[in-house]
Amino acid sequence: MTFEKFIFYVLAAVLIISATMVITRKNPVHAALSLILAFVASSGIWLLAEAEFLAIVLVLVYVGAVMVLFLFVLMMLDIDVATLRAGFIKMLPLGILMAIAMAAELILVVGPENFGLDKFAAPARHAADYSNTEELGGVLYTVYMYPFEIAAVILLVAIIAAIGLTMRRRPDSKYLDPANQVVVKRKDRVRMVSMDAEKG
Amino acid sequence: MQFDSNQLIPVLPEIYILSLACLVLVIDLFIKQENRIVTYGITQIGLLLAVAITVAVGQPQTQIIFDGSYIRDPMSDVLKVGIFVVSFLAFLYAKDYLRDRDLFKGEFYTLGLFAVLGMIIMVSANSFLTIYLGLELLALSMYALVAFNRDSQDGAEAAMKYFVLGALASGILLYGISMVYGMTGTIRFDELGGAIQKVGLDNVVLVFGLVFIVIGLSFKLGAVPFHMWVPDVYHGAPTAVTLFLGSAPKIAAFALAMRMLVDGMEPLVGQGGWQGWQGMLIVLAVLSMAIGNLIAIAQTNIKRMLAYSTISHVGFILLGILAGTKEGYTAAMFYTLVYALMSAGGFGIVIALSRRGFEAENLDDYKGLNQRNPWFAGMMLLLMFSMAGVPPTVGFFAKLFVLDAVVSVDLTWVALVGVFFSIIGAFYYIRIIKLMYFDKPSDESPLSMGVDTQVVLSLNGLSMLYLGLFPAGLLSICHTAIGG
Amino acid sequence: MIELSDYLILGAILFAISVAGIFINRKNVIILLMCVELMLLAVNMNFVAFSHFLGDTVGQVFVFFILTVAAAEAAIGLAILVVLFRSKRSINVEDMDALRG
Repeated sequence: MTFEKFIFYVLAAVLIISATMVITRKNPVHAALSLILAFVASSGIWLLAEAEFLAIVLVLVYVGAVMVLFLFVLMMLDIDVATLRAGFIKMLPLGILMAIAMAAELILVVGPENFGLDKFAAPARHAADYSNTEELGGVLYTVYMYPFEIAAVILLVAIIAAIGLTMRRRPDSKYLDPANQVVVKRKDRVRMVSMDAEKG
Repeated sequence: MQFDSNQLIPVLPEIYILSLACLVLVIDLFIKQENRIVTYGITQIGLLLAVAITVAVGQPQTQIIFDGSYIRDPMSDVLKVGIFVVSFLAFLYAKDYLRDRDLFKGEFYTLGLFAVLGMIIMVSANSFLTIYLGLELLALSMYALVAFNRDSQDGAEAAMKYFVLGALASGILLYGISMVYGMTGTIRFDELGGAIQKVGLDNVVLVFGLVFIVIGLSFKLGAVPFHMWVPDVYHGAPTAVTLFLGSAPKIAAFALAMRMLVDGMEPLVGQGGWQGWQGMLIVLAVLSMAIGNLIAIAQTNIKRMLAYSTISHVGFILLGILAGTKEGYTAAMFYTLVYALMSAGGFGIVIALSRRGFEAENLDDYKGLNQRNPWFAGMMLLLMFSMAGVPPTVGFFAKLFVLDAVVSVDLTWVALVGVFFSIIGAFYYIRIIKLMYFDKPSDESPLSMGVDTQVVLSLNGLSMLYLGLFPAGLLSICHTAIGG
Repeated sequence: MIELSDYLILGAILFAISVAGIFINRKNVIILLMCVELMLLAVNMNFVAFSHFLGDTVGQVFVFFILTVAAAEAAIGLAILVVLFRSKRSINVEDMDALRG
């Protein structure tokens, strides 16, 4: 076993264990943290497959932004964990059975018989001065210009939808507008009243 | 890559709709609630202009540009015009409904236009990447629209179900695409056919990828057994959104199936056998027609009933595609366009009967409609006859062409199953007609709708009759579009 | 050497885990969202592996776009979750019983 293969197996084991934790942990926060571990492990595997740019993007975008968003929502919503677990045990054996059956079936198709080294020879390693980012960037802004523009629109829709769905003006908010405080003039606040002096 | 600005001409409809959506987004910020009608007006005029632009850039030749990401052919032109027209109808019917429920907001039109953009991107996609992005653009806009009424629990619940199942479907679809890409090394539909021939039609991995793609596709189409989300989403979404969701996206779904299965993987059709997509679609179509029609009978909520009716119509559209001939594709395209019109009209009537604080969701609300408003009861009659496939409405011819195409490829038993279940299905459409004409109204209040809705809804209903009497025009358009 | 099948088997196992996760966590919407992310990770694994072994960048470009869409999808999914939680004070799918028939 080469060193490379050893690294692959270690990362694969971490990935599978953490993925299993995602679906079996009681606490959603633990599940989210396990998912982060899964992303980091697969980022390592992608480095082995010479997809350096995507490996970095996976950590930056997924771990850095998406999972933080998940954790943020988890903390914001006060979720009652206990009731969510009821019935979980009942489904678990069936779930395990399903996962094993499905994995076995998939592996039969994608196993060494169809995708072994004799069918797909291992590609030669790129030279040290090869830049994966440059290669991707080169096609992204030329050949894949049209999908790239669509992706931009998708992000815009996500922004509009997220704001449209969750932003609400709360009438009971105690927020004070500093601009209103600054523009107040003396006559808005002080009223001069002339009163006759009290007699007696 | 040589870039030539002439390349941008075929993409004009997409560029235009994107600009329109951004324009609506920005202008809406500066509009007060009482002038919201301006947003609506820009959207509607914009959609009509889009029809003109699409017709202007249309031509008989096929153009593939952006290094194979984009295709403009006669089919895409016709489907785009269909999408614009049906979306126009949907927005028009929805206006009064939204206004009565304080949902008359700019986001509805912005997200609606982005959904339209997603649909036309799917229609003109020439690679798995483009079609996936178009699909997601449509789906993301739709998830948000379903949850659009933030105070409605049903809406949020429906959106969540739609979202989870939609995301699952995308995942399955992508898994299949990754397999096909791995075996062929291309994601372009115009190259895929040749690459598949080279790999060999009986390659296990290819067929395996195809299974995943078909499952993902049927989730998106709402075909049995992957239909669970359809009734819940139709029921839970605000009726205005159900109207939009149930009409124009069906045209895009047809394009999705055509581009992936026919343009991309036609060699894998598996004519006469069970290995290719023909066999898989037979199973889906037969189940959809059976389950859709049978469960629709038991519904008391008209939105749920129309949802199950959609499922059965999807079965019929699949029936046309699975024939695997130009004739079949033409019939399926005709059926899809007609169905989108019918569905818009049907939900248009549901909306017209609703008013502030009252949703005409139950079948009982249609009792005695003839006494309340004979004209629109007549329109509903035409629409229901058309959905049931009663001559002389266009629904009959749509079904006839599809069945004819299926019989001509020696799948007579499938055609017989189709006939059998459409006869069963006719029962629940005719039940509505019975309620409208022979029952006493439980609610005597007159229908309130604007003149624009009245005129357009009447035209929509009468078009069922017109297209039924003169189906040749639309049929020849579809025929040229498919290129038979 | 690492074979292509090694990557694909890993992707297949991940895919199976995520489908099972969706099945057993049907009550907990937020875990459902995480399972969907896991499923896309499995798909991405396939694309990266194919791209590497075919010596073709298309697979990596596809992954790039899947990542973009998945991020947008997560944002909308969480927004819907927030709306749902505000209206029901719960994310338990069992409380979602308004839509039946």
